[in-house]
Amino acid sequence: MTRRGLGQRGRGLRRFRTLAPLAVPRLPGTAEVSRLANGLTVCVLHHPQAPVVTSALWYGVGTRDERPDERGIAHFLEHMMFKGSTHYPTGEIDHRTQALGGSNNAFTSHDATAYYFSFASDRWQEALRIESDRLIGLTLDPQQVESERQVIVEEIAMYQDDPWDALEVEVHAGLYGEHPYGKPVLGTAESLAAIGVPELRSFHHRHYRPDNAVLVVAGDLGDTATVRREIEATFGSAVAGGETRSPVPSVHVPPGVRRLERRHGEVPRLLLAMPGTAAADEDHPALRLLVTLLAGGRASRLQRALVDDGQLCLSATADLQDTVGTGCLTCGLEVLPGIEPAVAEAALLAELARARHELFDAEEIERARRITLADWVFGHERVHSVALTAGFCLSQFDLEHTERQLQAIVECDADRLRTVAARYLDPERGALLGWSMPEAGQ
Amino acid sequence: MSTDVLTRVEASLPTSPGLTVRTRRVIGAPVVALRAWLRGGARAEDKPGQALLTGRMLGEGTARRDFQRIAVDAESYGMALSAHGGFEVYGVALDALASDWELAVDWLAELIFESSFPEERFSFLRRQALAELESLEDQADVVTAWSFLEQLYSPHPLGRPQLGDAAALTALSREDCVDFHAAGRARGAIVTAAGEIDAPAVERRLRERFAALDARVIPGAPPTAPSDALPMRRRVRTRAADQAHLYMGHRTVERRHPDHAALEMLSVVLGSGAGLAGRIPARVREREGLAYTAVASVASGAGSDPGRLVVYVGTSPETVAQAERAAREELERLLTDGLTDLEVKEARSFLFGREPFRRETARQWAEMMAEAELFALPVDDPEWTILKYRDLDRAALESAARRHIDPAKLKVTLGMPGRSKKKPAEPVP
Repeated sequence: MTRRGLGQRGRGLRRFRTLAPLAVPRLPGTAEVSRLANGLTVCVLHHPQAPVVTSALWYGVGTRDERPDERGIAHFLEHMMFKGSTHYPTGEIDHRTQALGGSNNAFTSHDATAYYFSFASDRWQEALRIESDRLIGLTLDPQQVESERQVIVEEIAMYQDDPWDALEVEVHAGLYGEHPYGKPVLGTAESLAAIGVPELRSFHHRHYRPDNAVLVVAGDLGDTATVRREIEATFGSAVAGGETRSPVPSVHVPPGVRRLERRHGEVPRLLLAMPGTAAADEDHPALRLLVTLLAGGRASRLQRALVDDGQLCLSATADLQDTVGTGCLTCGLEVLPGIEPAVAEAALLAELARARHELFDAEEIERARRITLADWVFGHERVHSVALTAGFCLSQFDLEHTERQLQAIVECDADRLRTVAARYLDPERGALLGWSMPEAGQ
Repeated sequence: MSTDVLTRVEASLPTSPGLTVRTRRVIGAPVVALRAWLRGGARAEDKPGQALLTGRMLGEGTARRDFQRIAVDAESYGMALSAHGGFEVYGVALDALASDWELAVDWLAELIFESSFPEERFSFLRRQALAELESLEDQADVVTAWSFLEQLYSPHPLGRPQLGDAAALTALSREDCVDFHAAGRARGAIVTAAGEIDAPAVERRLRERFAALDARVIPGAPPTAPSDALPMRRRVRTRAADQAHLYMGHRTVERRHPDHAALEMLSVVLGSGAGLAGRIPARVREREGLAYTAVASVASGAGSDPGRLVVYVGTSPETVAQAERAAREELERLLTDGLTDLEVKEARSFLFGREPFRRETARQWAEMMAEAELFALPVDDPEWTILKYRDLDRAALESAARRHIDPAKLKVTLGMPGRSKKKPAEPVP
């Protein structure tokens, strides 16, 4: 494909060579997926570009699996998984990680909870021992539970003090209402107060089972058979019996734009949230490409209309969640001083309307495709990222999920984009528009 | 530090820093990372914000293309382009698919040599920077950190935000950026490339395109020295409602200081290692449950200018005094009781073990090679990294701690919430 239109300004532009056809990138390395007798899904991903190994253990449990009296428990338990198990007393996981020169962390989402370690390739097996130990023998010491509850209360306070984080929590809650995706992952100080050892134990028992988990080990692993034997030896004794998950409920957002306003700081910030799609939905790749067309890169629609050309905003963003159920599509603006927030809001809505009503031109689409694919390549240079993507795909969908998405993005044309834009980029079909306004204007 | 290592450091001192080019083939993703760093960022500026705006202006238009055309062209190839201004350097970072390396090299050179600093773009970027300052002032931890750095370094440029301040930004002109860039080019540049590339071919093209920088170097004047005139304790009112932010510390050593490696190991012991393993996070978060974030370092931000001992804790206003007391006690315990051999062994092991993770990607290599040239230290050489920690034993670390950690000199900044707690947002009819 040749570049079209690039010479129109013609001021001494240097030569442009022909753009290579788009090749859909694949997950680097060679993956082999199997299942232990107890149901644990295991992915051994050979990717020997550097002498490192990342292990990622994904559990099929998240905030959406909490009962009404358990708000915040999935995340609370994630914290407690670092606070002691049979062979790793409190502090020992971090201590061992540090002693071996590695790193570790974890996160909880509405759909899943994931734990990961990265070590040099001659010592990564410690990660298996830690994960297995806290799967089978989590301690849950009452004193540690009390202490960690306070830590999470501080974490909530930290997010509450951040203008964007606080706005996001309220907008998501407003959009989703009673749907589990609207519940804050961290819970609240009040909901955490009702969670103690018995509740945490029960939640762990119900969900932390090998048949509800995916283990990925990726990197410079050596012999596959040896790796499998090590995993079998470490996890083989874990007992199956995970609770069957309920499907994600449908999302019902009333038509029209609902609004909320909060006061924080001195800068007006807007977050518009609309229902998107489930990540496996056939519209998802087109919607992902639309998000890039709107806000991916400096030549994108929102960047031009609201930031560089329009000079209304400091920043303009768009994002699409990758969730099992109906995720959320958001647009965010930070308004420049002296600009009426309503003017910025109107400009955003006008760009969404333009996306719905006018066809994107071929060059613009091609650019967005290339940005999407190149970003994916840049984002998967590290073994750590490869392991997390493999874990995400296997635990929520299948290993080919990402490749399918990228292929569909490459195949997406202007007509398809307009159809999908009409379906999802119309706030009047149901949206929550939140403003964080300056306190001084209160 | 062993004589061997010192010899290697001395041998690496720059001889002709006009133009330094480094390239490396990195097996992995099919990408190339290019970095053009011009020596002298905010530490070389006369006017606060000058380096940052100059760096950003490099992406705003050249003699050949306006800013939109630059963005469209780069993004049409999936390139990620960032024109930036930092404390030590300013310049351009360009990440591209490896097959596009020639174009990427040419565009990098175009931005460095042919930037036209359009007046209307300068006006907008200055306005953006002013808005960015205002936006950051909504972040309680950032405001507290700014105040802390001012306490430690003022009037040295490390004592102010790299964005400058509103008055200085307002007074800046396009010509200030043009002049800064002219001086920057005279101070010399470091250009690096890493990725799935034919390294000699890329180096040849870089040398050809950047040859104009290989001229006589006019070094910049050193920045104003820090003073200790500001008070030991400060309390700033933030726009937060819930959390207090505690920063505590003092200046330590620059990057090339012989004790820097020892301070890196001490940092791991105190709270810069894996998870919450350090003494201060273990005490403040794990044992006392006071904070979600608690970290400590003894050589934070060390570069051409001295870094700092810094303890940071985000906690509630009710427990901030307890957190400060705990952190002070841990620092004093380090000086009075010393370290254990196990702690030293584990700190060394951590620093060895993290090395492969610093060399995974083309971008990491490009930046590490540039950093090696900037500080004239072989930070990109894994063997040197091992050597510099290998011979540091408990006695050496305790001795370094006594030389560089002084509880009597600790300066404290408390960022206290100045906003009343609000009810949750109300729906607007």
